[in-house]
Amino acid sequence: MKPAKMPLEELMSSGHLACQGCGATQAMRFALKVLGPKTVLAIPACCWSVIDGSFPNSCIDLPIYHTAFETAAVVASGLKAGLEMRGDTESTVMAWAGDGGTFDIGLQALSGAAERNEDIIYVCYDNEAYMNTGIQRSSSTPVGAWTTTTPVTNFKKRPKKNMVEIMAAHSIPYIATASTAYPEDFMRKMQIAKETRGTKYIQILAPCPTGWKAPPELSVSLARRAVTSKIYPILEITRNGQKLKVWKDFKPTPVRDYLLAQGRFRHLKDAEIKTIEREVEDNWQRLLAKEKMLESIPGFGE
Amino acid sequence: MVEKVEFKNYREMPIRAMTISSMLWNLTGSWRNVRPYYDFKTSPCRLGCPTGENIQRYIYLITEKKYDEAWKTIIEDNPMPAITGRVCYHPCMSECTRKDYDEAVNINALERFIGDQGFQNPQWMEKAKRSKKEKIAVIGSGPAGLTCAFYLARRGYPVTIFEKEKALGGVLRWGIPEYRLPNQVLDKAIASILESGPIEVKTSIKLGKGISLSQLEDEFQAIFLGIGLSQSRELGVKNEAGKGVVPGLEFLHRINSGEKVDAGKKVVVIGGGNTAMDVARCALRSGSEVTVVYRRTINEMPAISEEIEEAEKEGVKLHFLASPLEIIRTKNTLSGVVFQQMKLGDPDESGRRRPVPIEGETFTMKVDTLFTAIGETADLEGLEEKLEQKWNLILTFGENGNTSREKVFAGGDVVKGAASVVEAIAAGKKAAAKIDRLLANEPEPEIEDPHTVGIEDMNTDYFTESKRNRVPRIPQAEVTGSFREIKTGFDDVLAHSEADRCFSCGVCNYCDNCWVYCPDVAIKRLRDEYEIDYDYCKGCLVCVHECPRNALSTREEGK
Ligand SMILES: Cc1cc2nc3c(=O)[nH]c(=O)nc-3n(C[C@H](O)[C@H](O)[C@H](O)COP(=O)(O)OP(=O)(O)OC[C@H]3O[C@@H](n4cnc5c(N)ncnc54)[C@H](O)[C@@H]3O)c2cc1C
Ligand SMILES: Cc1ncc(C[n+]2csc(CCOP(=O)(O)OP(=O)(O)O)c2C)c(N)n1
Ligand code: SF4
Ligand code: SF4
Ligand SMILES: [Mg+2]
Repeated sequence: MKPAKMPLEELMSSGHLACQGCGATQAMRFALKVLGPKTVLAIPACCWSVIDGSFPNSCIDLPIYHTAFETAAVVASGLKAGLEMRGDTESTVMAWAGDGGTFDIGLQALSGAAERNEDIIYVCYDNEAYMNTGIQRSSSTPVGAWTTTTPVTNFKKRPKKNMVEIMAAHSIPYIATASTAYPEDFMRKMQIAKETRGTKYIQILAPCPTGWKAPPELSVSLARRAVTSKIYPILEITRNGQKLKVWKDFKPTPVRDYLLAQGRFRHLKDAEIKTIEREVEDNWQRLLAKEKMLESIPGFGE
Repeated sequence: MVEKVEFKNYREMPIRAMTISSMLWNLTGSWRNVRPYYDFKTSPCRLGCPTGENIQRYIYLITEKKYDEAWKTIIEDNPMPAITGRVCYHPCMSECTRKDYDEAVNINALERFIGDQGFQNPQWMEKAKRSKKEKIAVIGSGPAGLTCAFYLARRGYPVTIFEKEKALGGVLRWGIPEYRLPNQVLDKAIASILESGPIEVKTSIKLGKGISLSQLEDEFQAIFLGIGLSQSRELGVKNEAGKGVVPGLEFLHRINSGEKVDAGKKVVVIGGGNTAMDVARCALRSGSEVTVVYRRTINEMPAISEEIEEAEKEGVKLHFLASPLEIIRTKNTLSGVVFQQMKLGDPDESGRRRPVPIEGETFTMKVDTLFTAIGETADLEGLEEKLEQKWNLILTFGENGNTSREKVFAGGDVVKGAASVVEAIAAGKKAAAKIDRLLANEPEPEIEDPHTVGIEDMNTDYFTESKRNRVPRIPQAEVTGSFREIKTGFDDVLAHSEADRCFSCGVCNYCDNCWVYCPDVAIKRLRDEYEIDYDYCKGCLVCVHECPRNALSTREEGK
């Protein structure tokens, strides 16, 4: 047998309460394989506060601090400070929150922690809506999507908030996006986060078959198509927001195929899909231009 | 079983909320309505190979650098991979899934690589001892006979090979020239077969002349006839008999015996099959100018297309849509040949378009030697009355080579007509298995439905396009005028690079995808396999979808 593709150690076990094909669950498993047993989690209200299990049972073999919806970053900061005061500088503290808890209600706590450059890893598992409470729109929900609060007659018209740019504006040492379809890439980024001091923000696209109205077996495939259709760029921002690296080494796939594989987009008319396609391409070009521009600043080029 | 922790009253609760137990008590398998399960399929290459080599498996073993196991895997179905790895027309590659993606895997070159590894490691061949009393006679030592002898000797039967020539190999020795199959490769391959078990060899004995079928039937409990086709067919044109008109097989026999043959300046070869190509290329190497004349076009030529390309590359001229009409002799020596111009008509029973003469259009060519290579026929002298025949071939019944006589089996070209090495091997292998069943009084095995896969069953997200690795060859300048082997074969680096291209269609090759992606941690990664824990599998089928090679299937629960 070949060498294993990822560490064998499991800190997350079976029996959890996630739906079939849940991407958020895969993401957690990958992350913990990198962080290892010396890790403390802060999880706000979100699907993951349910997936984990009911007190006093948990599918994660680590200390978890369940926090109020808006407080993941600040609780994590406090946990880190507490550990340090007790002389433990080794343990990693990770805030693990949904997109609602990150892009929306948790934004001020996160912004504060990032501005102070707290030594925490903040992972947003991005399933693009408030899934735990029954699929309401968040500011991470992509344009065109159906949710229960953006019904098909009035689907989401506003674009997804650019959370990565917001975080980059905080001058923190490490920012990355990832997708559950590329676990090796995600785990590599978690490793960097583990080894970097200061605030690290990682946002991983984690498909929710239930909320996206897609068959669970397509979970990984959708996570991949989101990237290869350039809708969800995989990138890294280092040097306190000054250096951008976009992953481009993939065979592009049509935006349309990605959209139409999911029930949440199936109401879109041809013209609407075309508009989205144009916006995706515009965003992609802007991103590449920005990458180039940053490279061209004297003294920033490697 | 992990117990669920529940508190009966607040006094049992810890002072602050904390994890006390895992969730393993929660058997989420009950959520499942569809069950994934590992279900390996037969890769299409294996179905394409007449002798059914387990190609996917030996290629996988090459990626693991387990050459010994790769060799043993091939040997289960084909005792001479170094030979087929050089001369097979590789129908496996025409079925390779990868051909529908970019280019078929170079299976043939990998087969040769492993075959040659076997020569360097003779200890890989296990030696069987006689364990059976029934004696078996194998007549003819072409690929069919050698294979049949090998698989019977391996099972412990004492085998005697009777061969009319002074050396073994059949067409492999007297037909296929050294630039494609060097004698020393053939010698090693035959030696390894003969050493594999209780095999005795009697050369220069011809069945039907030196020994009769009845004699053999008295002495042996089973007989396999793999006597091939040893006579060149005549053209049947005016003035054919006489100097200058030579059967192609005879010419090849002389060349392959190491003789230098001068065929004169202008040589014409009549025919479009493998024999024609080899005759032409040998004549070219002996210093002649060579034209192959074929009565149809290149599309109808029965020769292996690669051999046609090689011949052209070397300088053989191809002349299509012409057929010899008359030989012109001046004072008994050949001086020219009159040809009839042809055109293509309606398809015949083989599906190829029939050549029809164009009335009145003929032409003459100056020729020093004319080689005939329009086909070979069987020499059934002395067997006519004993065995039922059809079109001057031995008639067999069913898949295993049974003839009209109970103890007598036949296979290879003498049954199929001009076919191929690998088909002869397949026939020899099947007959050996059948003879064993007959002598051991065993029932026929059940034929399983081969459940195969194609490109539409693959998850191509995990593959990237790559060019097929070609087999390295000696410089073209050194090909001319030399009988040196043209292809030098893969080294380790090329072999691995090519083996890595295999999709492993329908069979797990431990890529870990199922284990990596299972959201429920329900897949166990064991030593040489994975196992699904149905106590927890929720039936999301992510593993099934993300398996690049369709090694899993699904079944509805409760059905
Ligand atoms: C020139 C040439 C090139 C070819 N090239 C290719 C190629 O590149 N690839 C490919 O797949 N196929 C090729 N073929 C076809 C292939 O060689 C044959 O299909 C194959 O050899 C058939 O195997 P066989 O064992 O049935 O018969 P053979 O190889 O013909 O062997 C028959 C043996 O039986 C012996 N024999 C015959 N009669 C008697 C008797 N009465 N008593 C005792 N012994 C007897 C013969 O001497 C011979 O040794 C080629 C054929 C020719 C003629
Ligand atoms: C202050 C507050 N408002 C509302 C809620 C209800 N609530 C719990 S989880 C949740 C949605 C979480 O969405 P997201 O952060 O995207 O995580 P997901 O459930 O999608 O994984 C909401 C609205 C709450 N717990 N606290
Ligand atoms: S890719 Fe490999 S397993 Fe699939 S058909 Fe080709 S050689 Fe066989
Ligand atoms: S990925 Fe896991 S839970 Fe999903 S079907 Fe496969 S074994 Fe079951
Ligand atoms: Mg969410």
